[in-house]
Amino acid sequence: MKYEYRFPDIGEGIHEGTIIKWLVDIGDNVNEGDSIAEVETDKVTTEIPTPKSGKVLELMADAGDVINVGEVFITIDTSGEADETEAQVDENEEIVEEETAGVVGEVIVSSEEIPPSTEGIVSTKKAVNKKKILATPVARALAKDLGVDINEVIGTGPGGRVMKEDIRNFKDSLSEIEEPKSKVDEVSSDFVKLEEEVSKGESITRVPLTRIRKTIAEKMTQSRFTIPHTTAMDEIDVSKLDDFRKKYKSILKEEDVNLTYLPFIIKAAITALKILPEFNASLDEENNELILKHFYHIGIATDTERGLMVPVIRNVDRKSIVELAKAIVDLGTRAKENKIDLSELKGSTFSITNYGSIGGYYGIPIINYPESAILGLGRVVKKPIVRDDEIVIAKILPVSLSYDHRIIDGASGARFLNILRELLTDPELLLLKS
Amino acid sequence: MSNKLNLIQAVTQALDNELELDKSVVVYGEDVGVEGGVFRATVGLREKYGETRVFDSPLAESAIVGSAIGMAINGLKPVVELQFMGFSYPAFNQIISHVARMRNRSRGRFNLPMVIRAPYGGGIRALEHHSESTEAMYAHIPGLKVVIPSTPYDAKGLLIAAIRDPDPVLFLEPKRIYRAFKQDVPIEDYELPIGKAKLVQEGEDVTIVTWGAMVRDVQKAVEIVSEKDVHPEVLDLRTISPMDRDAIVDSVKKTGRIIVVHEAPKSFGVGAEIVALVNEKAFLYLEAPPTRVTGFDTIFPLARGEHHYIPTPERIASSILDVVKF
Amino acid sequence: MHLEDYNPLDNTMYQIMDKSGEIVKSEDMPSFTDEELLYLYKTMLYVRIIDERALSYQRQGRMLTYAPNTGQEAAQIGSAYAMEKGDFLVPAFRELGAWLVRGVPLKNIYLYWYGNEWGSHMPDDVNVLPVSVPIGSQFQHAVGIGMANNIKGENNVAVAYVGDGGTSHGDFHEGLNFASVFKAPVVFIIQNNQYAISVPRKNQTASETLAQKAIAYGMPGILVDGNDIFAMYAATKEAIKRARNGEGPTLIEAYTYRFGPHTTSDDPTKYREDEEVESWRDKDPVVRFKNFLLNKGLINEEWEENIKKELDTKVVATFEDIEKNSVYEVDDIFKYHYATMPPHLEEQLNEYKVFLQGGKNHVK
Repeated sequence: MKYEYRFPDIGEGIHEGTIIKWLVDIGDNVNEGDSIAEVETDKVTTEIPTPKSGKVLELMADAGDVINVGEVFITIDTSGEADETEAQVDENEEIVEEETAGVVGEVIVSSEEIPPSTEGIVSTKKAVNKKKILATPVARALAKDLGVDINEVIGTGPGGRVMKEDIRNFKDSLSEIEEPKSKVDEVSSDFVKLEEEVSKGESITRVPLTRIRKTIAEKMTQSRFTIPHTTAMDEIDVSKLDDFRKKYKSILKEEDVNLTYLPFIIKAAITALKILPEFNASLDEENNELILKHFYHIGIATDTERGLMVPVIRNVDRKSIVELAKAIVDLGTRAKENKIDLSELKGSTFSITNYGSIGGYYGIPIINYPESAILGLGRVVKKPIVRDDEIVIAKILPVSLSYDHRIIDGASGARFLNILRELLTDPELLLLKS
Repeated sequence: MSNKLNLIQAVTQALDNELELDKSVVVYGEDVGVEGGVFRATVGLREKYGETRVFDSPLAESAIVGSAIGMAINGLKPVVELQFMGFSYPAFNQIISHVARMRNRSRGRFNLPMVIRAPYGGGIRALEHHSESTEAMYAHIPGLKVVIPSTPYDAKGLLIAAIRDPDPVLFLEPKRIYRAFKQDVPIEDYELPIGKAKLVQEGEDVTIVTWGAMVRDVQKAVEIVSEKDVHPEVLDLRTISPMDRDAIVDSVKKTGRIIVVHEAPKSFGVGAEIVALVNEKAFLYLEAPPTRVTGFDTIFPLARGEHHYIPTPERIASSILDVVKF
Repeated sequence: MHLEDYNPLDNTMYQIMDKSGEIVKSEDMPSFTDEELLYLYKTMLYVRIIDERALSYQRQGRMLTYAPNTGQEAAQIGSAYAMEKGDFLVPAFRELGAWLVRGVPLKNIYLYWYGNEWGSHMPDDVNVLPVSVPIGSQFQHAVGIGMANNIKGENNVAVAYVGDGGTSHGDFHEGLNFASVFKAPVVFIIQNNQYAISVPRKNQTASETLAQKAIAYGMPGILVDGNDIFAMYAATKEAIKRARNGEGPTLIEAYTYRFGPHTTSDDPTKYREDEEVESWRDKDPVVRFKNFLLNKGLINEEWEENIKKELDTKVVATFEDIEKNSVYEVDDIFKYHYATMPPHLEEQLNEYKVFLQGGKNHVK
């Protein structure tokens, strides 16, 4: 292979030399280290040795000519010798124009150009407006551990900092809305088997769980597996209540109030809760204490597009039925429109789930942990019943009351339903006792 | 009108510019006059301005700097050359005890508008002591400014600014890139601000702070990682002291991650100062630990081991990916 | 006198007035007027009083470490008096007499030793550099000042001082070498007071004299009786003339003695004998000058008493003013590192001020 020997900078700060005479001819065999030319520079006259062995192919200059450092001045056929890329070929890309002094070492010389300076040029690229979450590394680590996306958490610390507390609370809540993750969760071995079992032709679809769904799943599991649930059911004759309701419905509609059964049921429930406080309580397992709550916040389970949400009406005992009606509508609407605040989804002491509004008669609702009971309402149907020993058609409301059997016995469950039945059957009694 | 210069030529042009403009500027040091400097930084200046203003001195770094102090006190603007940063140490006493202190010591009665130039950094396969990067030691001295350019354009503008600065400036020239590339440099007079970093490249994923010859290596590393869709923001510090703290902090607040790349040994280096700064001012914005990619806490190896020491684009790129994936 | 006539290798000491106050080399006697003679003597007394008071204040805990000048008055005052307006004084740290002659206010001097940088802020027309603590390093500053004078084509001279200890330091040699090469208009004065703290002169160097070190650097050197104010004046004047004429630097060794301690934190009895100290008493520079003046009928004891009282009052008033009225501003610690305070210093200063005013978690 042809080796091009470029005139080296022999380290004296030279940039050119004159060939005094060649010491080899074309066709000569040379060994590494043999002198091939006598060259005169500004500082010295010296013999230049060849770094390669081989046969001299070409002499690129004549005696008396001036050659520049970096210029090829002789080529040698080195076939037979191992190929090596000479370092100096890399370093001198083209003819070096200025001196490469430095007294020690080798300063790389190159005529490579870099682009002109961008000093003072205003950037036209728009700043990427990434929302910046302020959080300590410890908080970020906690978020990671809990599987919380810290960007979704609202910070309550100084300057809007996301505190560890915020992250934990976020985790506890059910209502952060997020787009489903495109990343698929890891599968358990059972599901692997499922896939393997699915025979050819059968297909499955994997739907990633939304954050809300995941949260619901976790909460349901926790409730069901912690609390020994029992459900007591009953049918309540709400015919009179219905008449009462209808009587005032149109009047109230003018006030923009939609009067359903629910406000009445809530009021009846409060009366029952006051008489049977264990239904408005939480069990502190660690300390073996029953925490009786002297405030009444009712969670109203609401079905929304994103899933189950439980907005809370606070201090229900201090609100009139009309106020309750308004609150129910307000919360329900806002929940469905995702305009509800995190604080309005927390703090309930007793919950009501009205699956009857969609359909369904009896249910075995799961308690909203850490409460101690939940009241499920089925749909109101017309049914034949026996009243005063006669068969009449009545409006029947089916109720299902699930409660924590650790702290509430069957007798209490029955009593609760009795109170409900009593008050809802006779609205005048409800008025007197609530 | 522009001309294509390499870094050393830009230095020469800056000196020429100031010698012409200001009669109080004098340039001296070992081999600076007749030979034009071992790196040819002062070529032609003695011929043009005479040996009263551009001259050779005896081999005595302490006296070179010490006499510059006296000259500055007496109304001149000396620009002295120390042949290599590794030979600045005999002058260290004058620098730390007097150059940096004269103004404060006399409550402003005596000021030193002087510049000390020295080639610095490794990568030229030289003997021991010719590859030093101890800028951290000088940056640690209050009252001194330390400036390190990375391109010919910056070198000229910063050196002119340094010569005009009423405070003493240590101007370190990364010798590895003295002639490694050329750039368009205005032939006219211009200054670049001392104390201001330069945004070399905008990005969102991580902030890389570097200076001197390492800027090019960082740019190469950025090319490597951009193929993996990682887009770092690169800051060329340009002045080590006083450091452009705002630029660093603002950038980290944007990206949440920072890597400092320098040749000098890791511990107690400028990188450590930047990491401390970022922790103080941008703690809550950090999404990964601040990282340094540097030389080792060892003496700079001789030529055959040199390539291990200076961070390569590959080493830098690996670190970028580590930090971005944290 | 001609400096070139003196060969320091001869080991002869240049003297005009002997230890008893007699003039022994009348041809070199400077032509001082009576006023000048009295001024020179008063300045010597002033130096002694300033030192005595400073020492006393230090022992009372009112002044910090102080370096007294007792015994070196002639070396300092005689040499400095040969300087002219515009010349630069580049001191080491024991040059009280020279400072006074060159117009440094006593307030500045006391402020410095009192621990306040404003002491080194000389008035604009006083070309005196601050005290240079790194021994010998100031020689190079003097060289630079001289080189600048040459470059600018100006006529000023730099006079630099060092002690016998400083002549061992690299900067002493680099400075002399540089000055010679560049023919810098500098006069280098060694105050050889025989001790570098506790190390006696003979252990500092193997050279017979310090003056002869000049030969190595190609400049004239002369050994002078440092306690002879006239000889010091004459030699320095000649050296300054040489420098101003462009003939380059000179090295003057002022052979004198440090009667007191190195500083107030030093106990000389630990390393030297009382006999030695006593043996120098009859060479005391102030005493011999007093004898000269008494013989000339220019002074008497009553005059001296009055002058001393006057000077003492001034000294006490200056010190008490400093004690009572001088301030140390926190801002000053930060303001003078750069022409413009950089942001990080501003930040540190503000943070500190917040702390001083009672910050958020302030602990007193």
